Amino acid sequence: MTMFNRRTLFASTVAAVGAATEALTARSAQAALPKDVEPRGSTGRLERLPRLDLESVHDFITGFRKFANGDMSRSANARMTAIIKAEGLDPDADLPIQKILELTGKDPVIANSARTWLSAQQINWRTLHNEFHANSDLYMAEMEAADKAGPGTLELNPDLKPPAYTTHEIHIQPGGYVGDPFAGHIYLYGTNNFYTGRNNQDELHIEYASAVPVPKTGKVTRVLEQGTSCGQLAVALKQRFPNAEVWGIDVGGPMVRFAHMRAADIGVEVHFAQRLAEDSKFPDNHFDIVTNNIMFHEVSQDGARAILKESMRVLRPGGVYFPMDFYTGGPPPKAAYGKFRSWWDSRWNGEPWRLDYAALDFAGAMRDAGFDVNENGPPARPGTKRNILGTKPA
Amino acid sequence: MADAKSAGANSGPKTYTTDFIKADTDRAVFLGNALLDDMMTALIALGSETWAVRRRAKITEMLFEKNGKISREMVEQYMPTPEEERQLTTERDDFIRNIYGHFARNGEDVVALNSLDPKSKK
Ligand SMILES: C[S@@+](CC[C@H](N)C(=O)[O-])C[C@H]1O[C@@H](n2cnc3c(N)ncnc32)[C@H](O)[C@@H]1O
Repeated sequence: MTMFNRRTLFASTVAAVGAATEALTARSAQAALPKDVEPRGSTGRLERLPRLDLESVHDFITGFRKFANGDMSRSANARMTAIIKAEGLDPDADLPIQKILELTGKDPVIANSARTWLSAQQINWRTLHNEFHANSDLYMAEMEAADKAGPGTLELNPDLKPPAYTTHEIHIQPGGYVGDPFAGHIYLYGTNNFYTGRNNQDELHIEYASAVPVPKTGKVTRVLEQGTSCGQLAVALKQRFPNAEVWGIDVGGPMVRFAHMRAADIGVEVHFAQRLAEDSKFPDNHFDIVTNNIMFHEVSQDGARAILKESMRVLRPGGVYFPMDFYTGGPPPKAAYGKFRSWWDSRWNGEPWRLDYAALDFAGAMRDAGFDVNENGPPARPGTKRNILGTKPA
Repeated sequence: MADAKSAGANSGPKTYTTDFIKADTDRAVFLGNALLDDMMTALIALGSETWAVRRRAKITEMLFEKNGKISREMVEQYMPTPEEERQLTTERDDFIRNIYGHFARNGEDVVALNSLDPKSKK
């Protein structure tokens, strides 16, 4: 197959990326993997899916999600609200989920909106899984060659025993984060789809990285991201703090392996390690900033408490702890449809810890771990006006 | 489900995978009949494949307009311009609404099969 010249390709696509993020999303000119498999080239930092038809199927699923999250969801919401009102109840009154399900669970409009969303999600994962496994020798050889490439480093720990709570097929991704050798590949393209194209160049991660507050002294020499997945936030953090040593850790071996390969390909120096957030092996008082993005809703309550304790240990006095997740910038939903969607996501989209996370007094748990807590820290996630911020007492 | 090639195994490349807990979502029946659920999945999969054929045709046309003579490889590798990308996205969203818009009917306005008044009007 002819290979596209990456720089020519990149030049033709920067217009789409936008001038502001151009510098951040570019790959460095020196970056080159020993065995780069990208049969259809790349757009900025995103390697295009390897076949036109697969790309088109994913383009369709992206469009379908927009439709399902928009028109269909509005319709289901209106239907649910009407049914609950017809029963003489207030849909905004924080009704128990059992009551909401009893009244509306069998309604065809609501059931179908859930069905179609799920079907699209299943097609999303299945098509990606099949693609990477059908060409497994190629993709495996690419990763093996990249394991020792730089910039940045990779540490894999095949003897690590993942806590059971991390081994579910989260958001029904086949094999989850720990059980599929191509979990990183599958996650990146699957979540690009989930973000309906708004994050193809890590735009959201770049925003999140820019939201992370700096310790009062201004000193940032070491930064840790827990639950890094494909390393998108870690890469954005390194770009924000170019002089700092940036680490991304994850329980999933295939996740950090892919994260390292991708960061090296982009040309950004990050250190990735397969380690547990609750047992991170770093020295005491080591990091100036510890952060994470959408990790805690996938962690059990006991796991969350253990992670907070460990975060406290590895932060230096005065260091900043900045977790970003669904409810770090506002409370869980109370209206019936919002509650239904959260429950549904937990039950049917493989998010078994999401409701436990919603029920945890997170600020309280942070205080228990020893943090000074500011519940009105700077906002991070779209649509929020604040985010919880912890500081290790000096 | 253990991965036959997990780290430590003697044969094949190391995969750094471990056992995982399988979700039961494949067994989900939301529409009262497993066949209906499967038909919905098939309908969406069919839409995705149809769109892939249409997008390929569009890209072929775009290339024809520009080059006159084209190869399969050129179609496979083609990178639409931002303007063409916008056109394709608009067409995709219309395609989706035309086929699936029926499923987004006004949720406040559903009349059941057993509603009794034959003179009922909108
Ligand atoms: C939704 S993903 C996070 C996405 C990523 N931070 C981002 O910004 O795109 C959650 C990640 O946390 C990891 N994870 C969950 N529990 C963990 C733990 N106890 N230790 C390390 N990683 C963990 C999972 O393996 C998964 O890759």
